[in-house]
Parts: sequence; structure tokens; C-alpha cells
Amino acid sequence: MITERQEELAALHAFGLLEGEELRDFEAQLTADSELRGLVLSLAETAALTALAAPQINPPPALKERILALAVTPVPENKIVQFPVARFAPWAVAAALALAAIWQGSQNFSLRSENVSLRTERQLAETAYKIAQNQLSERSLVAENMISSLGNKLRKSEDLARLKVSALASLAGNTKEAQVIAVWDPEQQTGLLAMEKLPPISDNQDYQIWIVDPAYKNPVNGGVFHVSADGKVALPFKPDQPVAQAAAFAISLEKKGGVQKAEGTIVLLGK
Amino acid sequence: MLFAVSSPRREPERVARMTKPDFSSSVGDEQSQEQARLLAAMAKGDKSALGRLYDSLSRPLYSLAFRIINDNAEAQDIVQDVFLQIWQKASTYDTSRGSVFGWAATLTRNRAIDRVRMRKRRTELLAESAPDLQPAPLSGDLDSGASMWIREKATAVRNALGQLAPDQQKAIELAFFSGLTQLQIADKLNEPLGTIKARIRRGLLKLKETLPTRL
Repeated sequence: MITERQEELAALHAFGLLEGEELRDFEAQLTADSELRGLVLSLAETAALTALAAPQINPPPALKERILALAVTPVPENKIVQFPVARFAPWAVAAALALAAIWQGSQNFSLRSENVSLRTERQLAETAYKIAQNQLSERSLVAENMISSLGNKLRKSEDLARLKVSALASLAGNTKEAQVIAVWDPEQQTGLLAMEKLPPISDNQDYQIWIVDPAYKNPVNGGVFHVSADGKVALPFKPDQPVAQAAAFAISLEKKGGVQKAEGTIVLLGK
Repeated sequence: MLFAVSSPRREPERVARMTKPDFSSSVGDEQSQEQARLLAAMAKGDKSALGRLYDSLSRPLYSLAFRIINDNAEAQDIVQDVFLQIWQKASTYDTSRGSVFGWAATLTRNRAIDRVRMRKRRTELLAESAPDLQPAPLSGDLDSGASMWIREKATAVRNALGQLAPDQQKAIELAFFSGLTQLQIADKLNEPLGTIKARIRRGLLKLKETLPTRL
């Protein structure tokens, strides 16, 4: 018997609207209730039909060719061959007994050696922890020195007043440790990005710099770059259009070679 | 109006009688079986079957992706990804889990909604710095050369949606196409969450009564 509450949850599930604990509880109910599973399947099918309410548009003809060209023949799944259980059963029993005897013997030996290896593992882990701690403090010292040195250089500059300095904050989980400072010279229309601990990316991707100027509808492209393994980059950049007011700087993750308009995830942003 | 429907609300019994003859389940079963056969052929590496499945489903899937994402290039990317995923996973398709169309539509919708959410996050971030960065909406390139099959089914779905009360229709539309959460839908419609849940339940159950489950 399906209750009204279960119907409600099934309908929300069909539209992907259940989250968190509500979703987990409902999926637990589903595993135990085949009638409810049937309702969920049929509601999901009905919900999918809603797709046809969208105004119908033909895709471009080239899309089919593109898809067919990209479709690589999948590796066929191996056929499952029925194993003749009755024929091999006596051999299987004998093999199992032999294996059990070997296992008991080896168990005794392995329990003794396990204690020793656990102690060794613990010592290794403690050493690795200390090394990691030292490395971390060294790295933050380097970063502090870098920021401090950049600040000193900027303070010495006679044109300091006209420069815009911006620290970019991380927006994506994998760039939490990244330290990025953008310096922008509006007269020269050039900038400098100093970065540390920017995560490396795959060869078919680039980081792309964007300058947000309220005079333009879209952010202005500042060029692409790739990071070395240690994530350290000092990069001069020049936008591809004149920038009247650099309101903010952003770095996004884009396909290799960059894009004209930001498409990928914005990983760093600073005003 | 969110769907292309304008039919007034009618009594449930009348709705069922009026709608079902337009949406022949035997034709639907035939199409569904044909698509399942194509998937079986694709599982064996038959690329021409992929081409035929594309001919059958690309228009509704592209339309769905465009309806959600409102961008031609991104809709093409989504449809491409979906067909390639179906090609790779054809051998895992199980007819007891639903129709091929249902599977493909769900994949398309999920990918489009993921992109909408990612884009929304990016636009919000950029809007904090420059408020005029919102992309202008694009208009679709409508084509009248739809296959008869899809056109009939689309008409039947729109008719069935047209039989729903307007508040149910609106709730279903937001639930399917917007990528909003339950709470966001309730906020957008300025209604209590319980009311929205009830509307989605009643609306979807009524659609289920009206439409056959398989195309």
C-alpha cells in the first residue's frame, strides 16, 4: 500500500528534487518496497515525457556527422559461459579443503609478522608527518617573502599611485592554497600576475585571465597560461581590448588555447 | 505561459477519454521496441544503429537541452555527450528500467541542468563585479520539418499538460526545466513548500494517468 506521502516523495524523486537525508531515506524505502519502486519508475518515465513540451527545434545537420565521427567502437562485453557445476563439484571440494589447510598455516605466520609491520608503518607515518609539517612551514615562508618583496618593490615605484593591486581569492575547492596577486597599470595597459600553488591542469586545458571592465558586456580576455608542476608563475599580461577601468580580475579554467567568452569554471576572483 | 499549451482545465475522467486516443500506445510500444533494438545493435558496435537512433531522438533531445540552457552551442555539446554516452553504455541498457527515450531525456536534462547551475554560479560571481554581464537570451532556430512521430507525441504531451490546473502546470514546468530546488520553486512561486510538493505530486500523477508511459 503506497501512502500519499510516498507518492509525493516519488514525484519529487522523478524530478530529481530530493536531496540529503530525505533522498537517502526514500532510497532506503525503495530497496525494500517493490511496489514503490514500480511507482517511481513509472513516474520517472512520465516526467521524462515532459521533455516533449519544449518547443521543437532541429539540431544543425553537422551535429550528426560529428557524433558519428566521435563514436569509437566500444569493447564488446565478455560473454558469460555457464560453468558445469555438477561435473567439477568433487574437485572443487577437494581444492577448497587443500586451500583451507594452506590458509591456516599461513595465517599463523602472517599474524606474527603483522605486528612487526604495523609498528614499522606507524614509525614511517610519524616521520612522513614531520616532513610534511616542515615542508608546509617552508612553503608559507616562501609565499610570505614573495608577497613582502612584491609589496616593497611596489612601494619603491614612483608610479605606485596609478597601479591597481588586487589579491585574488579562491572560488574552487582545488585552488584553496593558491596565492595570486594581480598588478595592473592602466597607462601601459599591461598587468602582472604573481602566483603560487596554483594546481597543475591537464594538457588540453589552460588557465585564462579576464579583466572585468564595466564598459564591456563581457570580461576582457587577458590571455591564457599554463602552470608548472609547482604551480609557480610570474606572468605579464596584456588584454586584447583597451581597458578603461579594471574593476576586477578573474581566472577561469578553459579548453586549450582559451575562449573568446568565459565558459569554464572561475577559479580565482579579486576586485 | 511556460508550455505551449492553452487548453482550459477539464475534469479528470474527461481528460483521460479525450487524450488517450491521440497517443496510441501500440504505436508508442512499436517505437519503444525499435529504439531498444537499435540499442542492442549499438551494443554490438553497429554505428548505423547509432545514426538511426540519432534520427529518431536528436530533435526532442536537442529541443530539451536548448529549452533548459538557451544556448545553441551548449545544447549541441550536451546532445553530443549524451549520444556518445549512450553509444558507450548501450550494452548496459535494461528495458525493465524504462524506455530508451526516458533514459536519453533524463541524461540530457541532468547535463543541461548541471551546466545551468555552473553558469548561474559564474554569472553571479561576475555580476558582483560588473552588474551588466548577464548574457542576452538567444532565440531558437525553429524548424517546421519535424518528424510526424515526434510532432504527434509532443502535441499529446502538451495537450496533457494543458489539462492540468495552471498552478500544477507551473510547478511541473519549474520542476522539470528550471534546475531549481524544491525551496527555490516555492520561493519563486511565493507559496509554502508543502503546497508546491502537493502540486507536483498531483500534477505528475495526473500526467501519468493521461499519458502512456512508453513512447
